[in-house]
Amino acid sequence: MASSVLAPTAEEIPDFSTEAYKSAYSRINAIVIEGEQEAYDNYLSLVTLLPDQQESLGQLARMELKHMKGFQACGKNLGVEPDMAFAKTFFAPLHNNFETALAEGKVVSCLVIQALMIEAFAIAAYHIYIPVADPFARKITEGVVKDEYTHLNYGQEWLKARFEDVRGEIEQANKINLPIIRRMLDQVADDAAVLHMEKESLIEDFLIAYQEALMEIGFASRDLARMSAAALVA
Amino acid sequence: MFGLIGHSSSFRDARLKARDLGLEELAEGELDLWCSAPPQLVETFELTSATGQTIQGTYIDSCFVPEMLSRFKTATRKVQNAMELAQKKGINITALGGFTSIIFENFNLAKFQQIRATLLQWERFTTGNTHTAWVICRQVEQNAPRLGIDLTKAKVAVVGATGDIGSAVCRWLSRRTGVAELLLVARQQQRLEDLRQELGGGRVLSLEEALPEADVVVWVASLPQTLSIEAESLRKPCLMIDGGYPKNLDTRVASEHVTVLKGGIVEFVRDIGWQMMEMAEMSNPRRQLFACFAEAMLLEFEGWHTNFSWGRNNITLEAMEQIGAASIRHGFSALGLEPVEAPAIALVA
Ligand SMILES: NC(=O)C1=CN([C@@H]2O[C@H](COP(=O)(O)OP(=O)(O)OC[C@H]3O[C@@H](n4cnc5c(N)ncnc54)[C@H](OP(=O)(O)O)[C@@H]3O)[C@@H](O)[C@H]2O)C=CC1
Ligand SMILES: [Fe+2]
Ligand SMILES: [Fe+2]
Repeated sequence: MASSVLAPTAEEIPDFSTEAYKSAYSRINAIVIEGEQEAYDNYLSLVTLLPDQQESLGQLARMELKHMKGFQACGKNLGVEPDMAFAKTFFAPLHNNFETALAEGKVVSCLVIQALMIEAFAIAAYHIYIPVADPFARKITEGVVKDEYTHLNYGQEWLKARFEDVRGEIEQANKINLPIIRRMLDQVADDAAVLHMEKESLIEDFLIAYQEALMEIGFASRDLARMSAAALVA
Repeated sequence: MFGLIGHSSSFRDARLKARDLGLEELAEGELDLWCSAPPQLVETFELTSATGQTIQGTYIDSCFVPEMLSRFKTATRKVQNAMELAQKKGINITALGGFTSIIFENFNLAKFQQIRATLLQWERFTTGNTHTAWVICRQVEQNAPRLGIDLTKAKVAVVGATGDIGSAVCRWLSRRTGVAELLLVARQQQRLEDLRQELGGGRVLSLEEALPEADVVVWVASLPQTLSIEAESLRKPCLMIDGGYPKNLDTRVASEHVTVLKGGIVEFVRDIGWQMMEMAEMSNPRRQLFACFAEAMLLEFEGWHTNFSWGRNNITLEAMEQIGAASIRHGFSALGLEPVEAPAIALVA
């Protein structure tokens, strides 16, 4: 009998030395590095809208910087040069939406994009990557994923404390940005498959983390299915 | 708090359910889309026992459909994710309904206790099979005589005899009920032979051989699709108890001399404030439910927060008696052929 995704047998571990693997890794690794860099920037930018949160946000930002360095080391370890130009384009639509929300002083939208969506995306991707990663990257990623939960939790608690005032803007930000997350998942699917990460479970894991956060914030289960449908439809 | 993990009986039903809930994208989505859907907390409701005690329960739809059975990883994820959700919600005892427990056993998911950040605690889950087996036996005992079948002279075929429910049903029917002969049907011969040895009797037959001989047929095979059979080849009268989910048997077989009763279904003394059983096509969805779900309710009522039914072939007669007594105490009764005016029977004339 085949084994679970969560505990793969040796045959499911990819060959890290092939050109195909390294080529896919050059893009995935770049996405991860760029994602961590942007997370760092985003948390620092949020201080302008939430001056009283300077300390917490600064802490989160520092963790992201550490993550970025960790993932840079993963690329080096495999002898892969990350394709940073690709990663910048990959993140551009979401990045632009964050910048626009920031300029308009929309702190709720900013938190939805960074602390809910990007963190849930990272949590899903790292969880699915860990069982099929090379030993060096696995260790680093295991440490990172724990931190990302605290980041998701940060956004979740902030929004939860103001649920009635912010629910409208969360729904709006969800509507605008979730289709972008779905397109990002689609764009990364082929490369992820080379790393033995399946798109089907990436989407599912993303939604599990994202829906759990929305539920904690105060949305009813009915709202969750409706709000997350955009992530399921290509 | 108790929990129920269920799923739709087919992809078609799942889509209809999504449409009912106003989820058009899901209703129109292909199977691939459903393969990525996370488990959903559908509703939370209350239930008051015949003793007056009130408990709360939550229904979780795993978003699994039987069409996913051939996709090992997908089916696995559906079960693991639904279990993780139940545990994260702090539910004391959750029943693994329909294919959930079968996937868990067949794919040996007990090996994978760590789901993301959650270490699954098995004592929070039950397959509900002990209660299901007890209910099915009771359905045989109560309804065969009503059709003029004397069980001490009857041949009872159990389709899926070597399964967790099937083997418990065989044990009870041979030791407690004292049926004349058991006809044992399944595919793997060695397991059938082992069961026959354990029972100290019974005959191993193919389905085609068993059906024409049987006065009563208990269907507890894990079939993803329903079977069509010829009513004419059966004994007159013949009682068919279909415990499968989805149904093992096409109800069109029902005729003047063939009575089909939905198996492993109980009726509660009071209305339950939930919606989901309407989707499971119960004839009285406010009161009727799967016996495996009722087991989680019983364990919560009794405060037996333990995996009462777990693993395969572990169901003892004592455990069946224990859960059966609790079932009666709290106001559950096995679905039967009477009273005639209640639309409780799956009889198609
Ligand atoms: N009403 C309720 O509350 C509940 C109903 N159920 C339903 O009861 C049924 C049995 O569950 P469970 O005992 O846990 O399942 P198991 O997997 O333990 O057993 C299934 C049995 O069916 C046999 N079987 C499978 N396919 C065939 C076939 N094509 N022809 C003949 N026999 C077959 C198996 O033997 P082999 O593989 O050798 O053929 C085995 O004996 C399922 O449909 C399940 O959904 C379950 C729980 C609760
Ligand atoms: Fe990070
Ligand atoms: Fe983060």
